[in-house]
Amino acid sequence: MAGCFHCGLPVPAGYNYHGHHDGAERSFCCFGCQSVCSAIYEAGLQSYYQRTPEGLLLAPPPEPPKDIEIYDIDEIQQEFITSSGDLHDIHLLVEGIHCAACVWLIERGLKREPGVLFANVNLAARRVHLRWDNSKNKLSNLIRALSKIGYSAVPYDPENAEGVIKKANRSMLFRLFFAGFTMMNLIWISIALYSGADKGEFRDFFHWMGFALATPTLLYAGYPFYRGAFGGLRAWRLTMDLPIAIGLSVTYAYSTYITLMPNVVGEVYFDTVTNLTFVILIGRYLEGMFRHQALSATKRLMELQPRVATVLQDGKEQIIPIRGIKLGDLVLIKPGYKVPVDGIVLEGHSSVDESMISGESVPVSKTVGAKVTSGTVNTNGALLVEVSTTLQNTTLAKIIRLVEEAQSSKAPIQRLADTIVPWFVLVTLLCATITFFVWDSKSFEIALMAATSVLIITCPCALGMATPMSIAVASGLGAKYGILVKNGLVLETLSKVNHFVFDKTGTLTEGKMSVARMRISSILSETDILRIAAAVERYSEHATAKAIIAEANKNNLNYLDVPVGEFHATAGLGVQAIVNGENVFLGSAEWLIRNGIMLNDELQIQVHELESQAMSCVYCAIGGRHVAVFALADKLRSDARQLVNELRDAGIGMTLLSGDRKVVAEAIAGQLGGMEVIAEVLPQDKDRVIQRLQQDGKIVAMVGDGINDAPALIRADVGIALGSGTDVSVESADIVLMHNGLDKVRLATLLSRRTLRTIKQNIGLSFLYNAIMVPMAMMAKVNPLVAAITMPISSLIVIGNAARIRNLFKNEKS
Amino acid sequence: MSVIFTLIPGMTFLGLVFFGIMIWAVKKGQYEDMEGNANRILQDDDDDMMP
Repeated sequence: MAGCFHCGLPVPAGYNYHGHHDGAERSFCCFGCQSVCSAIYEAGLQSYYQRTPEGLLLAPPPEPPKDIEIYDIDEIQQEFITSSGDLHDIHLLVEGIHCAACVWLIERGLKREPGVLFANVNLAARRVHLRWDNSKNKLSNLIRALSKIGYSAVPYDPENAEGVIKKANRSMLFRLFFAGFTMMNLIWISIALYSGADKGEFRDFFHWMGFALATPTLLYAGYPFYRGAFGGLRAWRLTMDLPIAIGLSVTYAYSTYITLMPNVVGEVYFDTVTNLTFVILIGRYLEGMFRHQALSATKRLMELQPRVATVLQDGKEQIIPIRGIKLGDLVLIKPGYKVPVDGIVLEGHSSVDESMISGESVPVSKTVGAKVTSGTVNTNGALLVEVSTTLQNTTLAKIIRLVEEAQSSKAPIQRLADTIVPWFVLVTLLCATITFFVWDSKSFEIALMAATSVLIITCPCALGMATPMSIAVASGLGAKYGILVKNGLVLETLSKVNHFVFDKTGTLTEGKMSVARMRISSILSETDILRIAAAVERYSEHATAKAIIAEANKNNLNYLDVPVGEFHATAGLGVQAIVNGENVFLGSAEWLIRNGIMLNDELQIQVHELESQAMSCVYCAIGGRHVAVFALADKLRSDARQLVNELRDAGIGMTLLSGDRKVVAEAIAGQLGGMEVIAEVLPQDKDRVIQRLQQDGKIVAMVGDGINDAPALIRADVGIALGSGTDVSVESADIVLMHNGLDKVRLATLLSRRTLRTIKQNIGLSFLYNAIMVPMAMMAKVNPLVAAITMPISSLIVIGNAARIRNLFKNEKS
Repeated sequence: MSVIFTLIPGMTFLGLVFFGIMIWAVKKGQYEDMEGNANRILQDDDDDMMP
C-alpha cells in the first residue's frame, strides 16, 4: 500500500483523496494533506518534497488555529510584538515543524507574502521569528498562509514565558565557565608549587599569578555564595552558603597575606578557592536546571481565557476585547469556539465540552436557561448568552485565584540536609574558633593554619552535594522511565506519603467513552447493527458517536461503504438517517418515543441493569423497530487495579475524588476493591479535601489530570499529573508521568525511597569523613597536600554513591 | 626559564579573550538553534532560477 504523498503515512483503504501533481496521480491520507500539497505546488515550492529526508514519516498537518483575526486587534497584538512604526516583530510558536525542509518551506513561503521583511525559523525550539510591515499585510493573513502550507502558528512572548529563569540559568553558567577556566589554570600553578617552585625564584611570580586568577573568581563566580550567606544572616538563618563564604574568604585572605609578605614562610591556597567555587557551582547549576519550569501554571490558565467575544449590539455582531464586556451584554458563541464569559443561555441549544473545568469527558447539553462557564468549548450549535459575571468573577478566574493561593500558602519543602546544615555550620565555626585560640598561645602562624584547615577540611562539599547529586541522578533515571520530576526535592517527600488521592476521570479511567456492552433483540446480527450505527454516527461530532465508531473500527467493520442519506442531528436527543431505504434512529429513549417507536421490553430490563452499573445507554432503532442498546462506559485504565492493590498492601490510605455523579464514582471504586469516595466535588472542594487530610497529619499525594485538579495538585505535598492531562495540570504538578502509565506511580514511589536512602547514606558518609578529618585538622596534623587529596575524594565518594541509584530499575522495562 | 614570566600571563590573557568570545556567542544566540543553521547552509537559494 502506497503512503500518503505528503506525510508518508499509510492511506486507509476506501479513502479517496487524490491530486494531480508532477504529471502523476498522487493519493493522500486525508483532506488536510491534500490541500496542503496543492497549496505547496501552487506556490511553486514543490522542491520541498525533494528536500524532505527519504523515508521520514511526517505527521498530517495540524488543525489550523481558530479565531486568528483577533491577533489583528492592536490591543491584543501589543502583548506579543515589539514594533517601530509599522514594522512589527513577533515570535510565533509553530506546530508541525519536523525537519530542515520545513525550515526552507516556511521561510520561503513567508517571504513570498507581501510586507514580510524577515522570517527565521528556529528548528530546535519550533519557533519562527517574523518581522513584517503592518501597513502592507495583516498578521492573520500571515498565520493563514502558514496554515495553508501545513503549519499551525500562534503568537508567543518569549520574554514573558521563560525570560527570567533563562537569564538566571545563563548567568550561573557564565560563572561556572569562568570558575572552571581559572581552576584549570591554577592547577598548573599548584603543580609547579608542590613540586618545588615555592622555594625558588618563581615563588613570588606564581603566588601573584594565583592572586590574579583567584580574585576575580571569588568576586564574580563566588558572588552567589556571598549573596546567599548575607541573605540568610539577615533573616537570622545559618545557611549552607555561610561556611562556604567564610571558608572561601579565610582561605583567600590567608593566601593573600602570604603573597603580600614575601618573608613569611607558608603555602598559598588560591587553587582551593577556585576548586571549591567550581565544584559547588556545578551542584548549584544542576539543581537550577532540574528546577527549571518553563511556564507557570497560572500563565497557562490565563491562556485558556478567550481574548475576544462576539457581542450583539443593536442586532449587529461586533468583535470586542474581553475586557470591554459588561454585565448583561449578549454574547454570541459559534460552534467550535470557546465560551468567553460565564453566562446564561438565552437562545439556541448545543453541547458544551466542560472537561477542562469539571473533568467530565462527555459534553454537557445546554438549552435555554442553562449556565455556561468561561473556558469551556461550544461543540455543535450556536448559543446566545447573556453575561452573568464579569471577568474577575468567572469560574476560570476563581480557579486561577485558587492556584495562586495554594502556591503561596504551601510550605516550602524542607530538605533533609537543610535541617542539619545550620547545626553543622555552627559546629564548624565553633571548632575553627576553638582551634585558633588554643593554638594561638603557641604561634599565630600555626593557629591560622589549623583554623583555616578546619574550615577547608569540613568543606561542606560532600554534605552540600549529598542531596543535589542524588536528586540529579534520580531525576535522570526517572526521565528515562517516563517519570518527569519537575521539582526534585519532592522525591524526598514522596517516600513519606501515606495517603493517595486519585482523580477519577482521565486518571483511574481512560476518560474516553467506549462501548462496554451491546444488547440486541432482532434478526439482524450484532455486526450488521454496529456497521449501520457506525455508518450513521460518522456524521456526528458527539462523544457517543466516537465511541460507537471506535467499537466498529475495533471489530474491523467496513462501515464507510454503507450509503447514508438525509442525516439529521437534534442536539440533546439523537440522530436520524436513511440507510438502505430504512429509517435509522440513534439516541436517547425519548428520541425513539418522539419518533413513534415502541421500546422493546426485554431490552428495557437490561437497560435498567446496565444503568445501575453506571453505564449510559444509547438506543438504536432500524426500520421503525427498537433493535439494540449500546451501553457506554468509561473504561478503567488497565494498570489501575494493580496500582491500587499494591498501595493497599503497603498500607497507604486512598481517596477517590470525582466531579462525576456519586453512583458512577462508587461503581469505579467498587471495581478497584473499594476506597473512600468523595463525589460531586467542585475544584475548590478538591483543594479543601486535601487540606483536611493534611490537617489530620497525613502526607498527601494527589494524582490527577484536569484543570479542576490544578489547585489540589499544588496543595498536595506531592502533585502527580498524567502527561495526557491538560497543560495546566502538568504545570501545577511536581511529577509528570509520560506515556500515561499509571503504573509509573509505583516506580516513582520506589525511586523516591531509594533516593531518600541514598541521601541519608551520603550525609552519613560526609559526617564520617568529617569525624575523622576535623579532629586531625584541629590538632594541626593535616598538611595542605593531605587536605587537597582527601577533599575531592570525599566528594567523589558521595557522587559515586549517588550514581548507584541508576541500577534501581534494572529489572523494569523502560 | 624566565620566559614563563611572559608566557603564563600571555596564555591566561588569551584564555580570557576566548572566554569573552564564548559569552558573546552565547548572548548573541548562536547556540539557540543547533540544527536549523546546520541544515540551512546546505540549501540553495537560487534553485528557482535554475533551468
